[in-house]
Amino acid sequence: MTTDREINVVGRACPAPLISLAKEVRIMQKGQTVRITGNDPIFEESIVQFCCDGTHEILETSREGKTVSIVIKV
Amino acid sequence: MDKKKATILLQSGDLDKALCAFIFANGYASLGIEVKMWFMLWGYNCLKKRRSIFSVFNRRTDPVRESAYRVLETDNILQPMVEMLNRGGVQHLPMSKLNLMGIGPFLFDKMLKKKSIMGLEELIRSADELGVKFKMCQICFDAMGISVDDLIVPNVEVKGVAEYAKDTMEAHVNLFI
Repeated sequence: MTTDREINVVGRACPAPLISLAKEVRIMQKGQTVRITGNDPIFEESIVQFCCDGTHEILETSREGKTVSIVIKV
Repeated sequence: MDKKKATILLQSGDLDKALCAFIFANGYASLGIEVKMWFMLWGYNCLKKRRSIFSVFNRRTDPVRESAYRVLETDNILQPMVEMLNRGGVQHLPMSKLNLMGIGPFLFDKMLKKKSIMGLEELIRSADELGVKFKMCQICFDAMGISVDDLIVPNVEVKGVAEYAKDTMEAHVNLFI
């Protein structure tokens, strides 16, 4: 799946993925998609929490070993 | 639904406690919650610029330091003395446990770097970028002889307890660290 933007936070620990995603989402327009890739143990959980207020939608989650890649629609 | 709010008051100047406060601030801010951080007493230390001991007395006569929030007539020798003993600086904070005369923070920093966890300075910068508001207590400013240009973050507001009471009553979460 191709997305408008890509964020790579592989190797970064807890608040960093969330902060980079929040900064990216701020400059994106409604309807655009972003792919975020990370391998933090609680990475997937944090991203789900980020989206759970209903403003963002998770379109796709793919796993490759410990690395998780999530596509979000803003 | 109106915007959710949170306040964090940092009173402690310890590295570990400041780290917790800034991780929470970043977490709240990235989830779109409006965060106001308050700083009192030793909480300033993590925002202070590290300066030489000898610069303390020279800077007392600097007109830039005569900010609107201070009563310079009641200052005496104690303000520069406090500043000499309590120089602060984000890279020089002690830890509340296992300080080991300064070896503790050094090893802790290494530990965080190895695990690629964000350090305190990086967290302060990113909190500032995410729009966290920094507010300072005016009486601490006055009593401890600090001025706005001593701090590493711009756009710091200097307020009193009335503002703090208003902010905390509006907020959903209030933390005191």
